[in-house]
Amino acid sequence: MPSALALASTGRRRFLRGAAAAPLVCLGRPAAVRATEYASASEVLDTIDRREVEVAGRLAAIARAIAGAQAFADSVASDQAGHRADREKLRHRLKLPTSSAPAPPPPDLSLAALREAQQELVHAHAEGLPALGDAGAVAVLARHLVDASRQLTVIDLWIEAEELRA
Amino acid sequence: MRDGRRRFVVRIARAAGVVPAVLSLIEGRGEALPRGQETDFAILDAALVIEHHAIAVYDTGLQRGLFPPGLRDRAVEFRGDHVGHRDTQIAISRERGGRPPEARAHYDLGPLEPGDGFVRQALQIEVAAQEANTALISHIDTRDYLLSAAFILVDEVRHMTVWRRVLGFRIY
Repeated sequence: MPSALALASTGRRRFLRGAAAAPLVCLGRPAAVRATEYASASEVLDTIDRREVEVAGRLAAIARAIAGAQAFADSVASDQAGHRADREKLRHRLKLPTSSAPAPPPPDLSLAALREAQQELVHAHAEGLPALGDAGAVAVLARHLVDASRQLTVIDLWIEAEELRA
Repeated sequence: MRDGRRRFVVRIARAAGVVPAVLSLIEGRGEALPRGQETDFAILDAALVIEHHAIAVYDTGLQRGLFPPGLRDRAVEFRGDHVGHRDTQIAISRERGGRPPEARAHYDLGPLEPGDGFVRQALQIEVAAQEANTALISHIDTRDYLLSAAFILVDEVRHMTVWRRVLGFRIY
């Protein structure tokens, strides 16, 4: 299990507001806030594949139903296509098996569910980096993490705007 | 990183006090340091001086009322994130026997413009922090620090994206 230090005051901060102020004493944090500890690079890449398909499916469904969402959906799809290609190159270089195509999610127009899926994608990248065991792979997935985090923030801003409108 | 942006990030990192060996990593000039605890300390120190600088920017903006009134809460939140990053990285460094750098007594932040001008200044330090972290993260050897750096990167991207949105720049 990663050290408590590793999670204090980071992206899990919504669960860790209290712990962030005392990074050395948050060893007793609840299980729900523990980072996933991946066993291998293959597991990390497979998880990212699954999370990415879920985000893509949810976002596509929302874009079909909500005017103005298509440009964001197209941008995310373009980024994801590039990321998938990078991951395939990584799999090839690291001699990892190709993943099977994950099933798309059920149709759902909930922005909250989209946000949750995108957050899980971000966490899969962040929590996966230590398991990669390859500096080049870390560099690639860190760049993908930047894109995924930016997209998560766009979704957050989108939800805020919807709440203000309501 | 494109040349113009790299020069900008290096300028901010140098102004913040990042040591030359780590500046060369940010500049993308190859493996300037061997992987291991010493490199982790160098990266921790670099990340910390940038965090100190970011906190100084937010402190100045908040104390002098330079952020647009509607964005003060965002600035308070982002300052809090940087304080959390600083404290976490200080704790990681000390846990490993390091001597983390302290904040300077004074930061020369240049001309201080209120409103969007100051949001631009906050954006600059966020871009520098994010670009430096992205450049350095693959050189980190310790799993715990790598995980921590990844979540710090998530926060930096969030700050940067919000300020870019405020200033009307493209965010997707």
